Amino acid sequence: MNDRSPPDAFDDVNEAVGAEWEAETTPYERIRHVIAHTYDFVTAATVAEDARTAPKTARKHLNTLVDEGFVTTTSGEHGGAVFRRSPESLVVEQAADILDHYSSDELVTRVTELRDRLTDLQGEFGVDSPEELAVEQTNQTLSPDTSTRDEIDPETVRKWKRLRRNLAFANAALSIENAERFVDGDHNVADDSLPA
Amino acid sequence: MPEPSAPTEVHHLRGTADRPALLTIREIIEEMEPLATARLDDYLDPTVLEVTFDDGLCEADTARLDIQWTTRGEYKFHYTDSAEVNVRWGRHPHGGDYIHVPGLEHYHPPPDASSDPDDVQRSCITQTPEALVTRAVCKLWRVAYHEGSYAPLNAGENPP
Repeated sequence: MNDRSPPDAFDDVNEAVGAEWEAETTPYERIRHVIAHTYDFVTAATVAEDARTAPKTARKHLNTLVDEGFVTTTSGEHGGAVFRRSPESLVVEQAADILDHYSSDELVTRVTELRDRLTDLQGEFGVDSPEELAVEQTNQTLSPDTSTRDEIDPETVRKWKRLRRNLAFANAALSIENAERFVDGDHNVADDSLPA
Repeated sequence: MPEPSAPTEVHHLRGTADRPALLTIREIIEEMEPLATARLDDYLDPTVLEVTFDDGLCEADTARLDIQWTTRGEYKFHYTDSAEVNVRWGRHPHGGDYIHVPGLEHYHPPPDASSDPDDVQRSCITQTPEALVTRAVCKLWRVAYHEGSYAPLNAGENPP
């Protein structure tokens, strides 16, 4: 878009952007986009609605994405297939993006920093995970001794979960980089024969 | 440029900030809006996608859009500019506090992105995939930019 060009007229912004998206992408691309950040299992019909395709088309492409490892599937409550983004595929994708962005040294420094932040949270609250923190809070609420009750900021729990998830992506990037170095290194070693 | 007004609402987004979705939104904005540049506040552990505009709406010379998007598909798109005007599109539970808003999608109107339950409006954006929400925000911003008015930001239409 040129920054001086006037926008086209439209009656409904939802329909306008939906029609543009449809014109610029294939059904496969839209289904891939919708399921890419769908982390709870949903039916093909739900994906179809968001991706502006027929349910049959969504099912076909979702099954292709399952074959490609991008999506994972299981049986839903009523026996039909349900789908969500494959966590493994998401981790690999995020790790690749991180490796594109950081040098090896930068990545080590940043991962150390994130690990320290996680350790600080564990030290501050005396538990290993946000889930344990929630249990702790429930126990305090049930305790008859009101002096031990200490409100935990929901923002802290969210921050903790976010940090843990993003550190998992960064750790995966670091592991892949280390693995690649050794695989490449072995390839370049002149005499790599096993002793007889 | 002023910082965005301190959030006055107590309503939270469910889920945690979704790095993968924020990266996708960044790509869409940079492709759609020539005046915008987008960056994550922290590339490894982002909480917000900060979009800066080389121009603002009406009297403003510059503007910024702060975008939060969570793993549960809930969001806040907070616009602020050098004229100190703020608006925000949001999608998250509000416990029925926003009396004019039947669903999750809502709009905090200018000039201060008011969270007064009587001021918060139903959002004209009702789609849920991030591609469509982001495209809608960019399109509405473009119409407002050309009209020199904040009104189109939640009008949902652009009459000929």
